[in-house]
Formats: sequence, structure tokens, C-alpha cells
Amino acid sequence: MKKSLSIEVNSNICNISVVRVAVSTFISDIPGITLEDITDVKTSISEAVSNCIEHAYLDENGIIKVECTVEEDSVMLKIIDSGIGIEDIELAITPAYTSKPEEEHAGLGFTIMENFMDSVEVESDVGKGTRISMFKKIVNKKIV
Amino acid sequence: MKYVYDESKKRLSVYLDEELDIHECRTIRNIIDSYIIKYEPEEFIMDFSNVKFMDSSGIGLLIGRYNLIKLLDSKMTVINVDSSIKRVIELSSVSKYITVRSE
Repeated sequence: MKKSLSIEVNSNICNISVVRVAVSTFISDIPGITLEDITDVKTSISEAVSNCIEHAYLDENGIIKVECTVEEDSVMLKIIDSGIGIEDIELAITPAYTSKPEEEHAGLGFTIMENFMDSVEVESDVGKGTRISMFKKIVNKKIV
Repeated sequence: MKYVYDESKKRLSVYLDEELDIHECRTIRNIIDSYIIKYEPEEFIMDFSNVKFMDSSGIGLLIGRYNLIKLLDSKMTVINVDSSIKRVIELSSVSKYITVRSE
């Protein structure tokens, strides 16, 4: 049966771990899900929420909305902010590109999301905000 | 986070805590740098035994410390990395510069 979780947090860095724990707990009862799957989702959500805080809201206050939907064997995540938006999405998702090199960023946020999830979609309006949609299929390896 | 400095080997080891996200990394990077500057170790070890989670900010943490260690002409090693953290490290190029051991 389909189930969903919706969380709204403000862009405080303390909330990154709150969202990570909430989402990983929520998906942990999917039949056949492995620890590795949970870590993949957890890492991807951590990257997406960190981006909202640092890049969308530039460490100022804003609201981050996280929606997680579990349907049979898949996890769908949406991370929505109303921050500054991304001017050049292609550049932003380029591995090792960072708009803030002085901040010790590896520029690997989107690379991690794309590697750890099955699909990642980025929609952004400059001045209005960004919406990240990520999908992962959970393969039940147990033979019934 | 704990640290140990072995005077005879000129070796500084830091033992990191459970979750390395941007919050934790922003807090600890200056502390780690202050140890490096204080001891100027010839060998710098980051022990990941207790680290259960790391995202790309952990990679930034490694690169930043490596840049400082390089200035001292010293060696940096990352040890006791579990498989999930290894997968994050493998997406970056840090293992070209820093020795990473799982053991």
C-alpha cells in the first residue's frame, strides 16, 4: 500500500540530520530493502537538503519541504525550496563543480544523488526556488 | 572527536565521530586544523572507525585537510573506512592523493 511522509523544516543545518533520520526510518520497512539502499537514500537526501541550506537560502532562513512516498517497491523523494533558484542546472550538476570553492565543497552533491538513486530530476526557477525529485526502485532479493 | 599525538613518530591521529555532514564538518575542520598547526605532524591519520555516515561534505573535509598537510610536506592516511563511506570516497578523486585503508 502507498504511504507518504511530508516534513517541513527551516533551513537550519541541525535539521539535515533530522530529515535523514525521519526518511530512513520511514523507508526501513519496505520488503527486501537493504542497509545499502537505506544509506543510498539517506546520503542523497542529506546532499539535497544541504544544497537548499547553503545554495538556495545562502545560510539564511527559509523553508525546506521534503516529501517521501513509498509505493510497493519504490521510494520517491521530493525536496522543495523557495530559495534563489539555479541559473544553470547543467553546470550545477557537473561533477566537481562548486559555486563556493572557498567553503571546502567537493562539488559532488548531485553526483552522489545521481549515483545512489535511479533517477534525479531538477526543476528550478531563478528567484522562485528549486524542486528535486529522486526515485529509487527497491529490488527484493528474497525469493518467496 | 578525540585526537592523539605520538611525539616519537611525529604522528597525529584524529578519531572522528558518527555522522559527517555539513553541520559536523563545519564544526570540526577548524579544530582539526588547530591540531595540525600546533603539532606539524609528519604523518596525519584520520580514523573513521566510529563514522557511520558521510556525505560529500566529508570529501570536502578530507580535501581541505590534505591541502594543509601538503603544505607541511607530510603524509595523510584515512583508515577504517566502512563500505558505505568507501562508496562516497570512490565518487571523488581523493584517493589519488590520500591513502585510504579499510582494514
